[in-house]
Amino acid sequence: MGTAFSVKDLRLKYPSSSEDVIRGISFDVLEGEIFGLLGPSGAGKSTTQKILVRLLEGYGGGIEYFGKSLKSMDNSFYEEIGVGFEVPVHFSKLTALENMRFFSGFYKKTADIQELMERVGLWEYRDIKVGEYSKGMKVRLNFVRAMLNNPRVLFLDEVTNGLDPKNARIIKDMIAEYRDKGGTVFLTTHLMNDVEQLCDRVAFCVDGRLVETSTPRDLKLKYGKREVKVEYRENGTIASAVFPLDRIGFNDEFHELLRAKEVETIHSGETSMEEIFIIVTGVEVR
Amino acid sequence: MSSLTRLIAGELKRLARYKILPVSLVTAVLWIVLFLFLSAKEASEIAPLLIFVDTAMMSILLLGASHHLEKQEGTIRTMMVLPVPLGQILAAKTAASMVLAVESAVVTSAALFFIHGVTLNYALLLLFVAIAGVAHAAIGFVFSLRSRDFTSMLGLLMVYMFLFTMPSILFILGAIDAKYEWLLMISPSHSASNLISSAVSGEFNIAMTITGCVYLTILTAALFKFAVYPRFRDNAARE
Repeated sequence: MGTAFSVKDLRLKYPSSSEDVIRGISFDVLEGEIFGLLGPSGAGKSTTQKILVRLLEGYGGGIEYFGKSLKSMDNSFYEEIGVGFEVPVHFSKLTALENMRFFSGFYKKTADIQELMERVGLWEYRDIKVGEYSKGMKVRLNFVRAMLNNPRVLFLDEVTNGLDPKNARIIKDMIAEYRDKGGTVFLTTHLMNDVEQLCDRVAFCVDGRLVETSTPRDLKLKYGKREVKVEYRENGTIASAVFPLDRIGFNDEFHELLRAKEVETIHSGETSMEEIFIIVTGVEVR
Repeated sequence: MSSLTRLIAGELKRLARYKILPVSLVTAVLWIVLFLFLSAKEASEIAPLLIFVDTAMMSILLLGASHHLEKQEGTIRTMMVLPVPLGQILAAKTAASMVLAVESAVVTSAALFFIHGVTLNYALLLLFVAIAGVAHAAIGFVFSLRSRDFTSMLGLLMVYMFLFTMPSILFILGAIDAKYEWLLMISPSHSASNLISSAVSGEFNIAMTITGCVYLTILTAALFKFAVYPRFRDNAARE
């Protein structure tokens, strides 16, 4: 597996600000993985994404895209990447299909617009002006727009924000399929459900710095409690007991409880990504 | 179809879909009606002013309206991640803003010919309209990129008109003495107005015409290079 993006000591200061907004962050995005950049609002994740898609220049440090300096890339870079913005990015007086055909026309290699729009449930609404679309429909169309050129790397910003669970599931399935076919995804989000279901690795960004980079599994192990909590019924009420996870197979008290009581639930002390987010960033998830 | 052609086609389609082109055509028809009530001499005198207003002011207004609308719709950002050079995106927007200027010149010239039988040097008029229109498109870009919204952009336009366009209109109406015309040439509006008036009347002050062409061309190049090009990407990123 190669490295899609290699970011070393990335720094950025806006001309209007006195301090760096990105303060020396380093990370790699591996080819074929879904990499999540997480953090509270204003942490620098969208700014980082804008730098990686070359919307923002004047940064310090180094960024390599498949081994080449990002600064040396010409516009053909955009043939290879797809960018899904958080906010709608379509001409409101044109229909969805007109929008997609317009953008698609600039790429040498293009995806099947009908197939993409059918998949996200928009094909039957293709001749409606985007201005008449609901927020959820615009979000789905943003995703189609990002996938128009069969990108090698897909950038997604809050990709399921504003979607109902069914449509969010469809988009997440499409992202996972894209990854399974070898695509690379750079995802910025504050929705921890998306992270749990999609990300292979995540990095937490706080005040322009990366404070933690790992896999969701390792983070859960690191921040979770190594214990098992059993809830059982006793004398008509619910009681609970907590046992250490280590050598649980040899814990007689635990085994005795399982044999003797009417067990209702058993939970490991594994923590959720939401709790990890709060611990790592010190900020409540919105 | 090349990227530039595709971009221009997209801009024109949106001009029509956002009703800017039809409204502009209706305005042009009003000029034709106006010409019906004027003598050939009066029509020839007022024609340069009509073409100038459409070429200069409407270019700025159109650029501003379309820029702030696209900013609101977020489409500038998504255009910036297309595999096309920024220069082509700017060129397409400039070409679209020129459509109204050229349309005004064509309709006005046609009205002069068909109603009053007045003919002009059409090639020269189109060349001067192009030079003046591109310069004012560059000015429109600068105002758009330096304003938060369309309303604040209109504020900048009002200041510009007060400083640069009003003196030129006063000159056309004879309120400013002809001896001050060289001084007025500093104003992009007056340089544009001078070129258009020359093409319509067929009376040239060669030194002034060349100065106007050179000045507007240099101004256009300088504005695009130093004020529009560097700021456009930055502006899109900060949407």
